[in-house]
Amino acid sequence: MTGENIDVTAVERIVAETGRTQDALVPLLQAVQEEYGYLPREALEHIAKITGIPPAAITGVATFYDEFRHKPIGRHVISVCHGTACHVKGAPVLSESLAGYLKIPEGEDTDPSGLFTIRKVGCLGCCSLAPVAQIDDVIYGHLTPEKLPSVLQDFLAQADAISVQRSGDVIPQGRAGEVRICLDSCCVARGTERVHQALLRAISETGARVVVKRVGCVIVCNETPLLEVLVPGEAPYLYARVRPEDVKAIILRHFRPTGVRRVIGSAVSRTLDAILTDEAWEPVTRYSITARDPQVAAVLDPQKHIATEDYGCADPTDLQEYVAAGGFTAFENSVTHSQPSEVIEEIMASGLRGRGGAGFPTGRKWAGVAAAASGVKYVVCNGDEGDPGAFMDRMLLESFPYRVIEGMAIAAFTVGARRSYIYIRSEYPFAVKRVREALERCRSAGFLGDNIFGSGMCLDISVMKGAGAFVCGEETALLASIEGRRSTPRVRPPYPSESGLWGRPTLVNNVETLAVVPWILRNGAAAFRRLGTPGSSGTKVFALAGKTVRGGLIEVPMGITVDKIVNDIGGGIAGGRVFKAVLIGGPSGGCLPAGLADTVIDYDALSEAGAIMGSGGLVVLDDSDCMVDIARYFLEFTQNQSCGKCTFCRIGTRQMLDILTRLCSGEGRSGDLEKLEDLARMVSAGSLCGLGKTAPTPVLSTLRYFRGEYEAHLEGRCPAGRCKALVTYSITDDCIGCTRCAQHCPADAIEMKPYEKHEIDAARCIRCGTCLSVCAFNAVKVE
Amino acid sequence: MIMPVLTIDDRRIEVEQGATILDAAARLGIRIPTLCHRQGLEPWASCMVCVVSVRGPDGNSRLVPSCASRAEEGMIVETDTEDVRRARRLAVELLLSDHLGDCIAPCQQACPARMDIPRMIRSIRSGDFTAAVETVREAIPLPGVLGRICSAPCEKACRRGRYDSPLSILLLKRFVADADLASASPYAPPAAPSLGRKVAVVGSGPAGLSAAYYLLKAGAAVAVFDGNDLPGGMLRYGVPEDRLPRDVLAAETDVIRRMGCDFRMRLRLGSDLSLDELRADYDAVFLALGETVPSAGIPDGLETDEHGIRVDRKTFQTGIDGVFAGGDCVRPIRMAVHSVAQGRTAAFSIVNYLAGGCPAGRHTPFSTHIGRLLEGEIDNFLLEGDPRERVLPAGGASAGLSRDEAVSESARCLHCDCRRQDDCRLRSLAEETGAKGRLYRYSLGEGVPERRVFRQDASHPDVIYEPGKCIACGICVRIAEKALERFGLAFVGRGFDVQVRGALDRSMRDALEKTAGECADACPTGAIVLRSPVPAPRHRDSSER
Repeated sequence: MTGENIDVTAVERIVAETGRTQDALVPLLQAVQEEYGYLPREALEHIAKITGIPPAAITGVATFYDEFRHKPIGRHVISVCHGTACHVKGAPVLSESLAGYLKIPEGEDTDPSGLFTIRKVGCLGCCSLAPVAQIDDVIYGHLTPEKLPSVLQDFLAQADAISVQRSGDVIPQGRAGEVRICLDSCCVARGTERVHQALLRAISETGARVVVKRVGCVIVCNETPLLEVLVPGEAPYLYARVRPEDVKAIILRHFRPTGVRRVIGSAVSRTLDAILTDEAWEPVTRYSITARDPQVAAVLDPQKHIATEDYGCADPTDLQEYVAAGGFTAFENSVTHSQPSEVIEEIMASGLRGRGGAGFPTGRKWAGVAAAASGVKYVVCNGDEGDPGAFMDRMLLESFPYRVIEGMAIAAFTVGARRSYIYIRSEYPFAVKRVREALERCRSAGFLGDNIFGSGMCLDISVMKGAGAFVCGEETALLASIEGRRSTPRVRPPYPSESGLWGRPTLVNNVETLAVVPWILRNGAAAFRRLGTPGSSGTKVFALAGKTVRGGLIEVPMGITVDKIVNDIGGGIAGGRVFKAVLIGGPSGGCLPAGLADTVIDYDALSEAGAIMGSGGLVVLDDSDCMVDIARYFLEFTQNQSCGKCTFCRIGTRQMLDILTRLCSGEGRSGDLEKLEDLARMVSAGSLCGLGKTAPTPVLSTLRYFRGEYEAHLEGRCPAGRCKALVTYSITDDCIGCTRCAQHCPADAIEMKPYEKHEIDAARCIRCGTCLSVCAFNAVKVE
Repeated sequence: MIMPVLTIDDRRIEVEQGATILDAAARLGIRIPTLCHRQGLEPWASCMVCVVSVRGPDGNSRLVPSCASRAEEGMIVETDTEDVRRARRLAVELLLSDHLGDCIAPCQQACPARMDIPRMIRSIRSGDFTAAVETVREAIPLPGVLGRICSAPCEKACRRGRYDSPLSILLLKRFVADADLASASPYAPPAAPSLGRKVAVVGSGPAGLSAAYYLLKAGAAVAVFDGNDLPGGMLRYGVPEDRLPRDVLAAETDVIRRMGCDFRMRLRLGSDLSLDELRADYDAVFLALGETVPSAGIPDGLETDEHGIRVDRKTFQTGIDGVFAGGDCVRPIRMAVHSVAQGRTAAFSIVNYLAGGCPAGRHTPFSTHIGRLLEGEIDNFLLEGDPRERVLPAGGASAGLSRDEAVSESARCLHCDCRRQDDCRLRSLAEETGAKGRLYRYSLGEGVPERRVFRQDASHPDVIYEPGKCIACGICVRIAEKALERFGLAFVGRGFDVQVRGALDRSMRDALEKTAGECADACPTGAIVLRSPVPAPRHRDSSER
């Protein structure tokens, strides 16, 4: 902490606005950090002084969550995503190169000039663009070490120009047609915002009679930016990978204005004339796909949309539209025509199980809270989606906020809660904003507040923004976080249904679980039950990422095979490589080898195979992926996210990571595998909460199916050629001395020697593969 | 209100609603070990050494922390299954892997006789020379002798040597012995009640004298046989007189004689008496023959190896029942302190043999070690020690330290040994569970520290805090919170790096204004511990079992 003097009057204002009790502590610290860029010690002292929150609580909380900094921050923050998809696509090398390029000293996170601070983040939720980094508000995707200098220059040059604006539609009157554009985080990251601006510009320039509609996630994230054009009387046209410069042509194609006014009025008339020629259509149609295109049909056909119903056509902010499509009828019917017990019966009959991962029957949970004898009860929606390779909850919250709110409202009615919380992780600021806005509209419309539907029911829902801690996904830890304490889990029972928030009965449900509730009540339990398998009814949303041709969010009926997801929806493995395994359930989950791809998506079938349903992370690996490296990656994540309370998780996961790190760096010792397996079993059996109990699963399941790879590492070999320490780069005699590799090497490991054979300094080489990819003469060898 | 009835280790017990499994087990007199649990504080469930196995309705068992798990109707609990024992042992091993401290100081660790050197030094520092000689004689019955001729491996291990020069342990010991021998009544240990058994010790060198001393102390009758005119063996007939004045040797032999030893001089094994005769006349025989040419001078019937008489390394028992051997006749190390140590260990083994017929060697208590220091780490040890350089005897090395010099030199000690070594719950659990201290050690490659860095917070007048020893059990955090300390202690950070520190960066002095003593009392390890200006009373033979 620094000793610099800061002006604490802002702290007084923040405390006055936010509150003085311990449950306001996390928001207080967030606001203070917003103000100062970090948590100055003087500010913390001042909070203690004027609120009466115990200093120990302040220190404990301020040092628990990833989001809180204790040192001043650089002018711009580069968040390098280390989610699963980014990891398998090279995030570690990216981080290392970036720190090297910015000359950030070892152990520090900010460059000496204070311009950039680098952070590692769990997952930015843009897995289809992996690897990604976010600089302030701008997300850059598909990064490679050699792209970094230009990305940083681009950012500094355009920092103002490309600041993201998310409002201010100017839509011409009259419904000649409609253009739909997705404005979720993924798409914005991919440049949709620029396409959106181009679209508005194109419409005003051409005078086309067209409505621009912002929609929620269109679920084909790797094809974004996507535009869907609806011309009355025609089938929709879907344009994928649209560039801003294509937009005007697309508009002109479908909404050709009458007269010559637009040509005269256009500032770019010459370009326009060129576009209107037949040849000029080529660059646009090249990206065009229609909904009947076999590829996209394959993506969408095996899916079934319940949580994501009306995907791609509903405006996520439009409450009227949600209501017009039957929204809040399930809530109204429940409140005005049903007894809570009837709702519980229906949910029980549907067979719905918790979508957060563990699969506890939702109806039973509701019944437990409903039966608890207490005047005060709470409903908490768990949106602390922490799996570093999944973004289902983010998408649902951003695209279907009303559906989640309605699910919560029904739950609150059923169990008898008057206050509810949606806990959303801090990495999802857009979801926080959208849900807050949606809640405000629901209050105005009377769906929340006092005397809802004239029934006397009262309900308010507020958003609690997380502060960065994976363990908050564990329900008792989540509740501690809402109470403003360190998020450490406790022993259950008592379960939250008996003693939760502030000791009151509390229903904790996952976002997706709540999102399907309105559908079940509108369509009936039987309709839900018809989907899926006897033990697992309904659908499941997955974030499909990794090495498939296509990725993104998918919602599939339970019972579908893994093979169908990978090959039909995902389009098989990209780049001519071979399908090796899928990872299901993220850091708590396991892997299924390609040989078991006929396993169906079903809670019990998956856990029998050593994986878990999990919350919906589904990462596909090919033969270039190393299973030991993957296990190490996941364990590094959970080890880092351990709350540190119980011995098995705090020290046991560290010991396991130690062994895996040794294996990946070729320093394995005899007996390491047995010790690793033994530790894994004991950490799993003995840990206090789900995080620790499931942290060893990736290790155990990769040991089960890929033990040979572990044994190879013990002998100093990485069969996939992935583990850096076990591969070397060298330059062969084919080198002509073009200096290209030396120019691009981010680690200064190649000395520039024009017209001579170059050499790689193995001690400096970070095995990023840049030389290999830039060499035009095939002179870089990897062994 | 329904009183749940559960079964623990096949015994039924009814408890009040809300009671934990730990409470219920206590009611049945079933002891479950704990570290993070403290009566009167909310259960925390972090150390996990209290795990028990609970059989679910599906027949599967799961491990739960008994301190925080509610006793429920129909529960079937087992507290001593193989899984439970493994889990407890692993929990302790994991805690030990991240527990930075020396139970026993490096000097004591290096001493072949395991003399409690730090304790002796603290007694000198406080001027209690009687206590000092008691401590010395626990391990070394010839301190005046060894204070002159010992090669002092303790001084090579002394941590202070990393800073300037090691403590003058040898001269301090000599000072203690000389002061005692010069007093009106030199110290002799109180003898235990007579065992009614007789032991023959053959040889009166350091091993034989040492064995005789501890056998007498334990209540055995001892006769020492030697072919020479006077006792002392190599000490008398091998060490030059200018290194070891013979009056010192005689004075220390006299102590043993006064304890009741029957010295039978000028009787040589082989020519004057036989092993069989000794075996017939005595309940046990200890052979301390000194260095022997292999197979020459060794009685018939004894197995030998390349070094000398073959003995069990722990018990010093030979192949013949009731016959033990030690010192240079077993292996010529030619270091008096080794012979003394072996004589002592053999004495314990013989006493065990006499008591139950089954000789068990001396038990080496479980200890953790810091090992080699990290770069610059020595500075963190200097809080306790007087910064002045080593005191050299004004009268020259042969004169030894004066009283004032000894007291002054003793102030340089860094107190490396743990202040809770006798009642550390982690240490006793390590013993109980059979944990291996070094099973899990870190090595993440070059540049990554393999362990925490040693630190001390000595800001508080009553307690010292060593974060390296903290096992994050949170007892002190909860005590301070409950007592509404103005600042209190907080968990800082998360996961593996979590640490207990004063809230808002306060030192221990500010953090614990009211509860320092309570925290020190409750700390299950020596992390928060009362300062010890004067050695606390320690029960005898703490290093023995």
